[in-house]
Formats: sequence, structure tokens, C-alpha cells
Amino acid sequence: MSTTGIVFNIQHMTVHDGPGIRTEVFLKGCPMRCRWCSNPESLDPKRELGIYPSKCIGKDKCGLCLKACPKGGSPLIFTEDGVIIGSNEQCLRCMSCASACLTHAIKAWGDVMTVEQVMKEIMDDRVYYESSGGGMTLNGGEVMVQWEFALELLAACKKEGISTCVESALLCSREILEKFIPLTDIFYTDIKNMDSAAHSYWSGAGNEQILDNIRYLSSTGISFVLRIPVVPQVNNTEENIRKTAEFILELENPPVQVQLLPYKKMGTEKYASLGRPYPMGEDYNMLPRQEWEANLKELADIMRGYGLPAVEGSNHIIRR
Amino acid sequence: MISERVQKSNAPQAIEPFDKTWGTGVSGLDENISPFPRVNRLLERTKSTTVSTVDTQRAKLMKEAYEKYAAQPQVKKIALAINHVVKNVDIHIDEDDLIAGEIAAPYWAAPLYPEFSIQWLKEEIDLAEAGELPEFHERHNDKYFVTEENRKDIRELAAWWDGKSQDQMIRAELSDEEKKGSGICYMNDLYTYNGIGHVCMDYAGLIQNGYGYYRKKVQAKLDAFRYGHDDDRKRIFWEAQLIAVDTASTYFRRYGELAAKLAEECSDEVRKAELLRISFNCLNVSEKAPRDFWEAIQLWQGATNLILIESNGHSVTYGRFDQFMGPFYKNDIANGTLTREQMQELIELSFIKMDTLRKIRNYPETAIASGIGWGGTALNVGGVDAEGNDAVNEVSFMVLDAHAHTRITNPWMGVKLSEKNPKEFWIKTFNVCRIGTGEPKVYNDDMYFESLVNYGVPVEMARGWVGVGCVEPEVPGYTYGWHDADYYNGTKVFELAINDGKLADGTQLGPQTGFLKDMKSFDEVKAAFETQMEYWTDRMISTINTMDRVHQRNHPLPYLSLFINDCTESGVDVSAGGARFNFTGPQLVGLGTIADCLCAIKQLIFEERLFTPEEMQQALADNWEGHDLLHAYVNSDRVHHYGNDDDYADEIAKYVLETYCRMIEHRPNARGGEFRPGVYSTSINVPCGYPVGATPDGRCAGEPVSDCLGPCHPQGISHDVKGPLAIANSLSKLNQSRIANGVILNWKFTPETVSGEAGLENFMNLFHGYFAKGGLQSQFNVVSRDVLESAKAKPKDYRDLMVRVAGYSAYFTELSPDLQNDLIGRTELSF
Repeated sequence: MSTTGIVFNIQHMTVHDGPGIRTEVFLKGCPMRCRWCSNPESLDPKRELGIYPSKCIGKDKCGLCLKACPKGGSPLIFTEDGVIIGSNEQCLRCMSCASACLTHAIKAWGDVMTVEQVMKEIMDDRVYYESSGGGMTLNGGEVMVQWEFALELLAACKKEGISTCVESALLCSREILEKFIPLTDIFYTDIKNMDSAAHSYWSGAGNEQILDNIRYLSSTGISFVLRIPVVPQVNNTEENIRKTAEFILELENPPVQVQLLPYKKMGTEKYASLGRPYPMGEDYNMLPRQEWEANLKELADIMRGYGLPAVEGSNHIIRR
Repeated sequence: MISERVQKSNAPQAIEPFDKTWGTGVSGLDENISPFPRVNRLLERTKSTTVSTVDTQRAKLMKEAYEKYAAQPQVKKIALAINHVVKNVDIHIDEDDLIAGEIAAPYWAAPLYPEFSIQWLKEEIDLAEAGELPEFHERHNDKYFVTEENRKDIRELAAWWDGKSQDQMIRAELSDEEKKGSGICYMNDLYTYNGIGHVCMDYAGLIQNGYGYYRKKVQAKLDAFRYGHDDDRKRIFWEAQLIAVDTASTYFRRYGELAAKLAEECSDEVRKAELLRISFNCLNVSEKAPRDFWEAIQLWQGATNLILIESNGHSVTYGRFDQFMGPFYKNDIANGTLTREQMQELIELSFIKMDTLRKIRNYPETAIASGIGWGGTALNVGGVDAEGNDAVNEVSFMVLDAHAHTRITNPWMGVKLSEKNPKEFWIKTFNVCRIGTGEPKVYNDDMYFESLVNYGVPVEMARGWVGVGCVEPEVPGYTYGWHDADYYNGTKVFELAINDGKLADGTQLGPQTGFLKDMKSFDEVKAAFETQMEYWTDRMISTINTMDRVHQRNHPLPYLSLFINDCTESGVDVSAGGARFNFTGPQLVGLGTIADCLCAIKQLIFEERLFTPEEMQQALADNWEGHDLLHAYVNSDRVHHYGNDDDYADEIAKYVLETYCRMIEHRPNARGGEFRPGVYSTSINVPCGYPVGATPDGRCAGEPVSDCLGPCHPQGISHDVKGPLAIANSLSKLNQSRIANGVILNWKFTPETVSGEAGLENFMNLFHGYFAKGGLQSQFNVVSRDVLESAKAKPKDYRDLMVRVAGYSAYFTELSPDLQNDLIGRTELSF
């Protein structure tokens, strides 16, 4: 039996998480809970259901979910006025209803896949990696949650000569991280906040282990890109950016690029499909775009003032 | 990677740097986009001319000539009539013109071609007056002011031409057997009502030699004619050609004289000098070869206008402009005759002149057409020379810059992209694509070359191919390709195959191939499909050949024949097979739809047996009403669909394509040449859907069928769900070089996907990869803010619009309103 993992998305032709044209494999499960997270379906390590009632064509016309469920239930509630999200108390998370649903009104977040199955999808686009200097990027959730599967997949890519990137928050043990170094061409990681208490408040975990792992990563000499998700009212202060810059300067080897990524209110429809509230709060408002762009540039300028290769956004060519 | 080939040292010397970025998805957002005030002034005028006019002068002069020369053999009658038009029509030179010449009607006015058709125009005027059609100026698009005087003229002309126009001759000549599929199984209106066009004259030959050379060439043929031995039809053809050369000289001489007269009256010294230059240019090229870039561009555009005066066929192609203009550029820079800026401005002005060309179309056609212009003003740059070496020069870059500076729908730009072309040229091309106007399209130079060689074109000539009209490859100056001969409505043919050859009302149209409900296996479905395919391709081919013979008889083209080798040599008109290469290209429409229909039947009915053939047949008869579950099935990703890099579906698409190709390729046409299959639909996939009921792919009755090579989206439900690379992978499994009449693949990108330094690199590399996999052609939408806003307001119309969000890509309309707003805002961002 080959190793299986739970993959919640395989995105072909991504262009922002690594050089060139890439296929990005998203692994499910994350130990952190960043409130701005735009992929809520990535958090739970187990498979789960996403519900889109407006796509349902109705019980009388279809009813395949009810027939498929071993308990005879459905995560949808069929009322006189239409279909709404329900919660199936008896749900076994077998995903039979999602497999049966034709219109994606019930969608399974997470597929159990073997390394071979994932590799087959990756190999489809090989010619584009070659023409663009691209490859495969592993992302999450948090890649380290399914580290055994991740390592096998990376090894399989290496065997095929396909370049690999890993994006991880690095909230993991040193022992696990060490195993990734020889199999990864470029690491993508991020610093959310230099203040551990604030880090813990907004992301559900302190930053000590993360910063420690970044120091380690840098010491290995591997290429890595550091990202700062800039979230207004959370970490967009000059103080935080300066502290981040000072931390980076102390690293043994510098990152190839520091990317300041603007927060965008995204994924709200996915939170709704999971029956969860948007953690930033529905009334959380972003700054007006122009103010916001100026702010981002200001912060990036501060970084650049330290001589760091800081850029706004993620569509800049990575030169190793 | 393309960027590894950058060499700053060989950067081209156009007025813009080779890596100039104009922004991403900024189509329609910028103003004063040209560095030349004159160009901006004219752009403003051409863009604000939203209602055009009709000009009846050409038609009236044609009638006079047809009366006067009634007894002449047809080819001479045409030559004399065109001569009469060119000699007598009112001509104008605009105050901003640096290049003179019209098409026997003022700018933004449509001349009429009653020798092809006119009854429809009279009928539409009657219907508009009766309130049954909108008035011409109240049409949704293609608006025309048709004055009282126009109406009177048109009614008189229609009465005189009744029974003499080509559309009537074609209808009279087609048999019932040929007619019965017309407008249903194949769409042959274009060449019924109009001339053929779709041709590229030998610009290189004319520009190198001048009209005088052609006069001598034809005269020599006449001098060598041996009475009593040689074919008299050839003598008559050459006599007509001699008249055509005179017509051309007259055309340029008249503009030369007008410019001189205007110069005399002009008090502004700068303009006076310009007018005098126009005059010298026209007088010189009326007989002799051009001496500099300005004269050459004058000759190039005027010579093309004459083709448009002779016949109203569209897609008259402006050739490989960079190739025949490159030497003039080099020479003029070396001699100091003209500056780069002057030549750049001339190119831009020539584009605007193309934009002023008008052709009035009938109402049903305007409902689906894509713009008011002449249509198909294709112009190519790039590619390789006859020896296979890189052929890109400064002018190649200037032409691309000229589009960035004008951003109008003319010319239809095509870039022949070759591995051999410099990196700088790739960058220029994709930077222009990123503006988001949809121009230029890119061709895989090597694959087009290969497909022409497959049709027996010698290697050196095949390298010089040009993309005519939309995408049709041919050897310029040697080919008469009938590229837009017909659109084969494969979906209708498929529908007949599973309905015993009957229409919905029970009329027996095709052979009796049985009903789906009685079929026992998928093989039976395929057999029925192939029987209908053969029956209708046979009838389409026969129809086209009949039409071809009417064109040959009714409208020889002695002027065009001067510049298509080997017409003069052989003494045979281009319309009658005088060209070196004679092709006929009918297009298959609905490849994706047919493939998905077959997938649904094969998988759901004969393999998984989830539904019976009766249930499917009933669902189609009921237009899916009351069959929601089956409808949900066929639209779900549970069923294999073409365009997802899924071998099951892609094999079926291959089967459909090969079936069509097998029945078309190498069949003899009426000019001694062969048929070549094409797969593109422009916008005709919409009317192709009108006569077709519900289909097993999930399409409802009357809905459009799939476009070009693309996957299908019934009711806006995209059957392709795996993104652009999966589409590209599916398509590259088809043997595209066999589709010798060309293919179109439409791509849509948001500016976000291709913006910035990395975006450009990825954009280029994507197509580098696609071409390496055998892709033939691609065209892009880099969607502007306006489009995204309309997409938000009318999501159903934009279901397949792909957007890059952040860590993932998604279909725009699937996103929350907030995110949509964010993306709309983002188009103005440039990180």
C-alpha cells in the first residue's frame, strides 16, 4: 500500500508561489488559526463537507445524497421554501453524499490520494515547467501536518527532475524540517508578527518555534522567500516591520526576496459553506485601496531601507 | 526559458524600447495613446463615428457600365466596369491624410456591390419602413444612416439588378438536394451574397516592380499570342488585365492630381508640403516602383483598396508587412530620407485608414458579427525567411507598437512566432497582448509551416506563409483559398444521426439512420453519426463547388489576378483556378459539443447504463424539462468532458475531428485544387445553435454550440473545470497540423494573471510550452475593468471568465461579490 494523503486542491498553472508555471498541491490540516485565513477548508486535517445550497436542484428531482448516505441523512435541509445548510448529527464523514451530488451543492473538501495519483496530475504539465522554469509547489493548510506524505511526494518529484517549492509556516519540530531540506529547491515561509503575544492572539500560536526554524532554515543555505502578510490593524505598524527587518538581518543567509502581501478579504463564501463565521468579523473593513497601497509601499520602503530585497506583492521574478 | 535568450545588444531601434510595457488590461482606459497628435485626432474621429453612411455612387456607376458593356465577355465587362467606377467616382483627401486612397466611397461610408447582391438591402429598407426591422441607424450595432435619396437609389438599383445579381444566380443554380441542408447543416450565405476575398496579393512583387512591370508582362503575353492556335479566352483575359492595370494607374493618378490641386489651394506651408509629397507619391507609384517607405506604404494600401473596389469579399489580407517594408525602412534610415518617427506615424495612419472601411451587412448577420468594419484586415509580422532564418526586423516591432498606439480593431494582427525569433520580439508581442485588446493573435510558425508542407507546398514557400482573415494559412501571392467557404454545423448533423435523419417536425431531411432510443450500442451511434456526416459533407462540398462555378462565371477578378501567381502566366483568372495553389476551406463548428454529446451517451447509457436510450431521447424531445436528474448528470464532472485533459473525452474529440477531416481533406474543388478542413467558428457558433434542439451534452434547444476548438458551456455551465493548462493539454492531443485551414483557440486572462515582470514571463512561457506541444494558434483576452463589471452584473454571460485570485485561480462568477469588487479594483493595480 502506498502512502496516502488528504489533498484539498490541486491547482494547475499557479504563478505566484514559486518561479515559472507550477502545479500546486494543497494538503489539508493546519495547527494555526490565522483569522485572515482565506482557505478555511484547509484547517481541519480530516475530510469535511462544504455545502452550497443554492446549487441543489431539490430532493424530489434528485435526492442522490439521501440515497448515498449510510444513515439516510443529508447535510442539506429541504424545506418548503428551498434548501438550507443543515448539520447532520449522524455524519460519519464518509463523503458519500458529496460523491453522489452532481451539482456540487455538497462538496468534499479533501480527497484521499496516493503519491502516484498526485504525481500523475503533476506530470501532465511537465512541458510547461520546462518552458518556464516552473515545477511543483506543496502548500497547505500546513504541509508539515502531513509531513510523511509530503516527503514522499517531494522525493517522487526529485526522481522525475521536477523542481520543488514548499510553502510552510514552519510551526513544526526541527527533526521534521530537516528532512525537507534536501528535497526542496525553494522554501516559502512567513513572519506574521514579531510580538509573540499578538501572534498568538491573531494566529492561535506563538512565534518562537517559527522564528527558530527560520533561523535554522537560513543556516542551511537553502533558498527561501520570506513573506509578510500585511493585515491592517494587525501587523501593519512601522514598529513591527522594523523588528521583522532586524530579525531578517541577523539571519545567517538572507532570503532571496521579502514579499509584503496585502491582506484581501477572501474566502468568505467558503466559510459560509462550512457553516463557520468569518473570523475577522463581518464588519472588519479594509482601508480604502489607495491608502492601503501607499501603506504597503511605505512598509516595503522601510524594509528596503535596511537593504533587504523587499517587494510588494508576489508577482516578481525570483532570482536565486 | 525565454528570458535566458535576452541580448540587450541586439535591441531593435524602433521608437519604443523593445520591453516597453503599456500596462495590463488597460484596453479602453488610456487616452492620447499615440505619440503623434495627428494619429490621436484621427483616432478620436474614427472612434466617435458610431453611425456610418451608405454611398450609392459605385453601384450607379456599375449599372451604367453594365449597360454600356453588356455585350462584352464577362471578364472584360468587369474590368471595364471597375475602370468606369475608378475614373468617375468622387474622391477625397482628408485634411489629416498622409496616405491617399478610398474604396470608391468616402471614409466611413459603405459602397454597394449590386453585382453580388442588392435585393436584401431593398427588402430590409421595406421591412424597416414597415416597422418589422429596426431602422438602419437604430440597429444595436452596425448602424447606418440610409437617407431618402439612398433609399430611392437602392430601390431603382434593385429593380435593375433583379435577376442579374450573383445571389440570385447561385440560388437558381443550386439543386434542391444542395439547398436542403443550407442554413441548417451548413452555413453558406457568406459567399452567396458577397465576393470571396480571403486572399493575399503579391505585395512584394508589386512593390519591387511597380504597375508598369505588370503592364509589360501582360502586353508581352498578348504580343506572343498566336491566333488560331492559342485559346482565345486567354487573350480576352489578358486584355481585361491590361484594362485593370490602366485602372490602377488612373486610381493613383487621380489622387496625385487631387493632392496637387489641394496643395495649390493650401495656405498652410506645412500642409502644402505634405500634400505635394502625397501628390508625388501617387503619381510615381501610378506606374513605377516606390522609392521610399512613404511611397511604398501608399502603393501597398492603394493597391489593396483596388481589390476592395473590384470585389466586396472580406479578409483581403495585408500580407507580411515587415518583410516587404523592412528594406525601405533600412534604406530610408541610411539615406536620411525619412525618420523613424515619420515611418511610425505612417504605419499608424494606415491602420486608421483600414478602420474607415465600411461594408454594410444584412440584419441577421449584424446580430452575430463582431464589428462594423470591412472584416479580416489581417496583417502579419514575424516568422522566418525562405531559408528558415529569423525574419524579424525593426518594422516588425514598429507594427506592434502601432497597435499599442492605436488600439483599434484594424488591422487584424497576427504574429508568426517562431523559436528562431529573438526574445525581444516575444517580449514586445506579449507586452502588446497584455494591453488587453485581444490583439495580436499568435501563430505557431513551425506548425503552420508543417501543415502547408503536408499539402504539398514546397518548403521555401511554406516558410513564407501568411495568416489570412481569421487564421487561415496560405502562401501569399500564390493562393486562392476560399478559406471561409462554409461552416459545417456538426451539431445539427449529430442531431439528425440520433433522430433517424428527421427534423423535429418529422420532415425527413437526411438518410434514415435510426433513433437513439432504438440503438443498442455506442458503435451504432457512431455508425449513424458517420453516415450523416458523409451525407452532409458530400452535399456541402457539392454546394460549394456549384457556388464556386457561379463566381467564376459571374465575377472574374482581372485586377486581383495580376498579383496572384500564376494567373497571368497561365492566362487563367484567379477565380477560375489560375492561382498556383487552389484550396477550399469549410469549417467544422461544434467540435466540443459533439464530443460531449458522444461522451454522455457512451458513458451514461451504454457503459454505466444509468439511463436508457429512451430516457435520453425523451429528455431531448422535452428540452430537458422534467429530466432534471439526467440534466444534472450530463453537466456534472461525473461525466467525461472534453477540455479537461481527460483521455476518455479527448479520444472522442479526436474521433469527431478525424471523421470530419477524413471527409473533407483532399476532395477536389472547382478550381483544380483541394478542400482543406478548418475548425473555427468566429461567432457563427451562435446561429449554428438556432436550428438544433436539445443535445445530450446538456445544451438546450437553440443555445449556441461550442466555439472553435474550445470546450462547451451549456447554459453557462462550464464543462471544462481544470483550468487553462488542461484545455491546452486536451487540445494538443488533437492532430492540429491536419486542420490545414486553421484553428482558433480563445483564452481569457485577468490582468492579475499576466501582470508584472513574472506575469509577462509566465505568459510567454505558457505559449512557448503550448506551441512545443503542438498548439497551432492562440488569442487572448486580458480582461479589462469594464468586462469584469459587466461580468458581475450579467454573470451568466461570463461564466467561463477565469481569474487568478491569490493562492488559487477560479471562475470569476463563482466568487463572492466582495472578491469580485476586489478583482475589479485590482485591474488598475500595478505592483
